[in-house]
Amino acid sequence: MRLSHVTLGISTAAILISAGWFTLRALPEKSTSITLTFHAEMGGAPLVYDQFVYDNPGGPGTFRVRDFRFYLSNLSVAKGAETYSEADSYHLLRFDNADRSHSITLTDVPLQSVETVGFLIGVDPEANSSIQPRGDLDPNSQMAWNWEVGYKFVVFEGALRIGETVSPVVYHVGFSENARQQSFAIPSDSQVDGDVQVDLTVDLAKLFNGATRIDMETLPSVKFDRTDAKDLADNYADMIAPKF
Amino acid sequence: MFRVLLSLTAAALVFVAAWVVWDRARGPTATPIADFSAPFVFGRFSVPADNPLTQEAFALGRHLFYDPILSGNNTVSCASCHLQALAFTDGRAKSPALSGGVLEFSSMSLANLLWGQERFFWDGRATSLEEQALIPIQHPDEMDQDIDALMVELRASIKYRRMFRRAYGDVTAENTAKALATFMRMLISSDSKYDRYLRGKARLTAQEEHGRKLFMAHPDTKVSLRGGNCIDCHSQFLTSGFRDALDGFSNNGLDPDGTLPDGLMAVTGNSAHKGFFKVPTLRNIAVTAPYMHDGRFKTLEEVMDHYNDGIVVSDTLSPLILEADNAPDNGPDTIGLRMTPEEMAAIIAFLHTLTDEVFLTNPQLSNPFDGDT
Ligand code: HEC
Ligand code: HEC
Repeated sequence: MRLSHVTLGISTAAILISAGWFTLRALPEKSTSITLTFHAEMGGAPLVYDQFVYDNPGGPGTFRVRDFRFYLSNLSVAKGAETYSEADSYHLLRFDNADRSHSITLTDVPLQSVETVGFLIGVDPEANSSIQPRGDLDPNSQMAWNWEVGYKFVVFEGALRIGETVSPVVYHVGFSENARQQSFAIPSDSQVDGDVQVDLTVDLAKLFNGATRIDMETLPSVKFDRTDAKDLADNYADMIAPKF
Repeated sequence: MFRVLLSLTAAALVFVAAWVVWDRARGPTATPIADFSAPFVFGRFSVPADNPLTQEAFALGRHLFYDPILSGNNTVSCASCHLQALAFTDGRAKSPALSGGVLEFSSMSLANLLWGQERFFWDGRATSLEEQALIPIQHPDEMDQDIDALMVELRASIKYRRMFRRAYGDVTAENTAKALATFMRMLISSDSKYDRYLRGKARLTAQEEHGRKLFMAHPDTKVSLRGGNCIDCHSQFLTSGFRDALDGFSNNGLDPDGTLPDGLMAVTGNSAHKGFFKVPTLRNIAVTAPYMHDGRFKTLEEVMDHYNDGIVVSDTLSPLILEADNAPDNGPDTIGLRMTPEEMAAIIAFLHTLTDEVFLTNPQLSNPFDGDT
């Protein structure tokens, strides 16, 4: 008598467990895919390279852009209190392509939807003091200063023309203290069926014109001077914004 | 007794025949090159999926590389212009042309081609080593060989038929290119004093260490940092140009606009690339004189003089070169690093730590026909 009760109990439990397991397994796993597309602009219009078409923000002359690129790292997305962080999240954003844009796609994000996105402009201190290649970090690349100094976070190179005189303008901003965190709410209309498409603008003009307005004539180069580097970092902290 | 002998001979014959048939019929053996390692500081590399590194391909590639059969008149091999003792350069400003005179460019060192730029030649016109390998063979002034005629010659050789079969299958132009590419990918130089220093196995002298620091620093007079800015173009561990996109090409101030050669512009059609050349590896640089794409500098001292105060301005000159200056009084006609003689000598001392005797004498990379009878 007892024994059959036990048997019955065990088999019922087994049936319930397996039924539950199968039902749960059959439920589709909710995951979301997100594409962030960054568009390089200068004051609202697509960035133009290699032509003297921009005014020196804080002084005389016009300037041209030869190179503009930066590291975006530690990308994470969140819904409420749930957060998903990309692994080895180090992206080199460069815009020397036809549509002046750079896309990053996160697939299989284990969230039903996403409300906010966050990232660092620059590289976190741990990765910045390592020579391990990960993500787009490469110690043999143009973005590496050398292993004692770390990575350049934001690179701008170009030239300033005043009258007939052309002189180089080189801003290489690094140092761990100059990484800047940014986060945004994702526009609600950017989500269709678990597929999120977000367009963002990267306004290079903000690098030269923010808390500090740059005169390229008096500041032709920024590299290891901590104050100059911090001024530019405070400016680039605002250069990315979602496009509506 | 005779019968025993006869049947033994017959058995042996059958065995040999069967072996020969089997050896021909079976596919390539393809033993992956397992024991190959490279310092992790060299970073990532990729090998084409359809041409994995195998012992058989390496052996074949090595034979082809050293064999003058690859040229039209059977006198020139790849090694005629790429000598191991000279880090696979030829020690000349410009390589001799078959028709007399010289080629347009100086021969290039072949070392660590798995890393750095994924474009080959001074102007980057080849996008893979497989594509590159067939170019000198057919070039009328280099090896002047018709590819189909070469295939006929190679197929006539039992040895090459066997080596191709083991490595790939048939004797074809494509497989010739693949084998040469494999051999060149295995030309890895990672045993210089600098490498041993990076592995913690050697110490640099005070002068070499001073040179290393200058090599690795972009000068910034604002914070009294002195530097040679070499690292702006020659990467810190590989010392070659950068891999990403076209970052490994630049204009280092050799010629004025009027006589600036096309360089990379010939390939991309982009005028911003005029005068851009492949930033070469500096590994074994002490044995690869003369220097630059046209071999214009005979010594490392001349190279340093160029970077120090011989920079010629042109529109596409690297802004990093234009702007790098160790002297604070930035006059208009002082373009160059303006370092002291001691600093230049220190950089040259550091460059000498990049010489890798193991690489220059490694018997596995040497001429396989030497000692052959
Ligand atoms: C007559 C001399 C000569 C011969 C023979 C020759 N080369 Fe070269 N090699 C050169 C020169 C000169 C260059 C640079 C040419 C240029 O940039 O246009 C070069 C460049 C190269 C490069 C490019 C390296 C780089 O870093 O971009 C490779 C690879 C190469 N050769 C492999 C070979 C192979 C394989 C063979 C035989 C099939 C060969 N060469 C035969 C003279 C020669
Ligand atoms: C702006 C980029 C740049 C900088 C900075 C630079 N180089 Fe170069 N270097 C090049 C390029 C490009 C070439 C090949 C130029 C050519 O032949 O047209 C080259 C060639 C060389 C060569 C000749 C290599 C050969 O195989 O012929 C040596 C040696 C050299 N550089 C050393 C240095 C040293 C030392 C420094 C620092 C003092 C330095 N370079 C800084 C870009 C650069």
